[in-house]
Amino acid sequence: MTNSRIVDMSGISKAFPGTVALDDVSLFLDKGEVLGLIGANGAGKSTLVNILAGLLRPDAGVIATDSVRVEFRNPRDSQRAGIAFVQQEIATFATLSVTDNIYITDFPCRGPVIQGNLMRKQAQNMLERLGCNFGADDLIETLSTGDRQMVTIARALMSNPSVLILDEPTSSLSASEKDRLFAVLNQLRTEGVSFIFISHFLTEVFAICDRVMVMRNGTVAGEGSVDQVTMEQAVAWMIGDSVEHQPVQRPHQSSEVVVLKVTGLRRSAVLNDINFTARRGEIIGIWGLMGSGRTELARALVGLDPTDAGSVAIDDGDGLREMRSSKRRALCGYVPEDRRQEGLFLPMSVQRNINMIAMKTLSRFGLLVKRREALLAEQYIDRLGIKVSRRTQLVGTLSGGNQQKVVLARWVAVGPPVYVLDEPMRGLDIGAKAQIRKLISELAAAGTAILVIDSELSELRLVADRYLVMRRGSIIGELDRNSDERTLMALAAGADASS
Amino acid sequence: MKTPLKGTSTSEGTNVSRLAGFGQQYGFILVLLVVVIYFSFAAPFFFSFDNLLAVLHATAPMLVIATGLAVVVFAGKIDISLGSVAFLAAVIGMKLHYEFGVPSQISLVIMVFIGLALGAVNGAIIVGLRINSLVTTLATMIAFRGLALTLTGSQSIALPEEIRVLGNAKVGPIFIDIIIAILALLLMSGVMKNTSFGRQIMAIGNDEDTAERIGINVRHKTFVAFVISGGLAGLGGALAMVQVGSITSFLGQGLEFTAVAVVVIGGISLYGGAGSILPGVLLGAVTLEVVRNGLNQIGADPYLYQIITGIVIFVAIYAFSLQRFRLKSKTTRETKEDYSASKTVTGPTP
Repeated sequence: MTNSRIVDMSGISKAFPGTVALDDVSLFLDKGEVLGLIGANGAGKSTLVNILAGLLRPDAGVIATDSVRVEFRNPRDSQRAGIAFVQQEIATFATLSVTDNIYITDFPCRGPVIQGNLMRKQAQNMLERLGCNFGADDLIETLSTGDRQMVTIARALMSNPSVLILDEPTSSLSASEKDRLFAVLNQLRTEGVSFIFISHFLTEVFAICDRVMVMRNGTVAGEGSVDQVTMEQAVAWMIGDSVEHQPVQRPHQSSEVVVLKVTGLRRSAVLNDINFTARRGEIIGIWGLMGSGRTELARALVGLDPTDAGSVAIDDGDGLREMRSSKRRALCGYVPEDRRQEGLFLPMSVQRNINMIAMKTLSRFGLLVKRREALLAEQYIDRLGIKVSRRTQLVGTLSGGNQQKVVLARWVAVGPPVYVLDEPMRGLDIGAKAQIRKLISELAAAGTAILVIDSELSELRLVADRYLVMRRGSIIGELDRNSDERTLMALAAGADASS
Repeated sequence: MKTPLKGTSTSEGTNVSRLAGFGQQYGFILVLLVVVIYFSFAAPFFFSFDNLLAVLHATAPMLVIATGLAVVVFAGKIDISLGSVAFLAAVIGMKLHYEFGVPSQISLVIMVFIGLALGAVNGAIIVGLRINSLVTTLATMIAFRGLALTLTGSQSIALPEEIRVLGNAKVGPIFIDIIIAILALLLMSGVMKNTSFGRQIMAIGNDEDTAERIGINVRHKTFVAFVISGGLAGLGGALAMVQVGSITSFLGQGLEFTAVAVVVIGGISLYGGAGSILPGVLLGAVTLEVVRNGLNQIGADPYLYQIITGIVIFVAIYAFSLQRFRLKSKTTRETKEDYSASKTVTGPTP
């Protein structure tokens, strides 16, 4: 391969409020090269390619294509430079035809009129090339998720890009669709197209890429050609050489009493045959990479999302019984991933937020009793150690850690048998994290079963008694508390399949 | 083995979607048909060519205004200022004639441009300040009407003779406002179906964030949609004014809500991204006018019209939601089969 740099990003930095997403990152791509971009959740991969695709603007750094310095102000600028981007979220329009979806940003026109026949024919050719078995006239809303993903790939290819960015393109494809996609990518590579391929699946990355670049915490942790880098090395880069944390030695409190039993839980294209049980006093870490179905499992479990099959049984004090989703909402203390949007009523006071669920017990003849409201709020502000100036302080003015405690206090006030905590420590400082961890331990000690989702493996390892590892909507393994980070990461990333 | 199986299900899916698409667009034809048959028996003059022309003549301004509204609704927005835009455009147009000596025919054309400008005001506020379209056009609905009433001192403005005669002018047997309305329908239907703008508006109505992410210039297209909507409201106002023969302070009042009803009965989703101008808007407007016309002819209580309009809206909405529900459940089933099939192929890794 000649040494023609088609993309050269250097010194790219990008900060979001509260976090530094990218810190002086450089990425280059040669003509006809396939670069695999890997890293744990939040390592900065998506931010980096979003900058290259013109969706985000960097705070610092330069981008050059074909050795010419460029500045992408919006996606159209990037597209004009020959860069096509297949985004992680499937970007299709349900009520439009496949053809319209493929051409939507750039219709072939004669004068102002779209050339419908030409367009349909070319779209059909592209679909055949990708081996799709749906027609160019089909409406997107009649297609499966995998087929919709293929439409977005067809759209990207239609612009004859010189650089194609694929962000998790295979997560909703079946094995045969994936094979066809890889065949097309290989063919395009011989035609000189370059790729940036992001995937959580190391086997895929090592099968198709020439070179891998591993990111961690917004920096480049390592890179090298696939001939020289082993999967073990890549996993090590993903985790970093931080001191291996010992799991906390909590007294093993879990009893043998099962309080939660999930059987054959299924949701099309999201969750696949989920089975597990949780015992009283047990903290289970749900571990998986982004898109593995962790949040989807949490939402289905607590009855927020519909399921297609399976049952969830919970012991609410009257023995283990199967519960309808509406019942589960009251029995699972759910702390959502997005605290500010989904977890709190920001414009309301701390007291109102805490009392929200326990409301019924606070009223007499259907009217709220002020004294009881105040009492309950005071009690849990005290018990969870929430730092407030007064109980009527607006919850939006609290620090992250105290906000999270308010979310928890709301549930602790009604005492559910099961807690489902999605990223309970996200965005908190070290002290607040420790307090939340302590709280989780105390809740477990009080005899509840707790499921914890956390993208920070080292953090999860400080609380979990055992792990359920998820990949592609399935639980693919169960590991005990003594498993090390490397084993957990390798299982989640699918690096175990080859070794 | 998977391929032929899936092939059948896909082609079946297409048929069902076509059927559902047909139902969605034409389901309310059944409603219209029942209404027409009933009135044809109840009123002898009802089923005649002359009456058809009368119906189209009466609904021509509404056709034009609802066409403009449809463009905005396709983008997932709403414009309830259209009645006031029509009123204000007509008032300014005639003021220019009476007070600045602009030839009356020219001032008719100017009304369209005033409509475009007022639409641009709506669009600029919605796109520029990122304010919800319902709130914005609610505010301009009130403000534009207030401005127009200030200009007229809430007096009626009589039209000059040369314009008043246009109200009954015909080409052959057909009123010219029918021809203008049909041209507007054809033009905008063509724009929506066969131009890049039209399909991108549909995409924006589907999902604005996605449209933005893949590089559609959402703000520009949305702005243009409101400008078009305003321009057609100006044209509709001119047609309505000519029909009445004067500008009263009630011109265009309540028109915006009738237009919303027309669009909804025509099978255009208020969530955006679905429906058509032809036949959607045409049949929506004709359905409402047929009901009014028929009830008039059988000498029914005028308030009955409002009751029946309400019922027609419900029946139409119900028919569409039923069709969409069938389509959706079919899709989900297919997706599920596909997923479980793919899972067995992939197999869980131990």
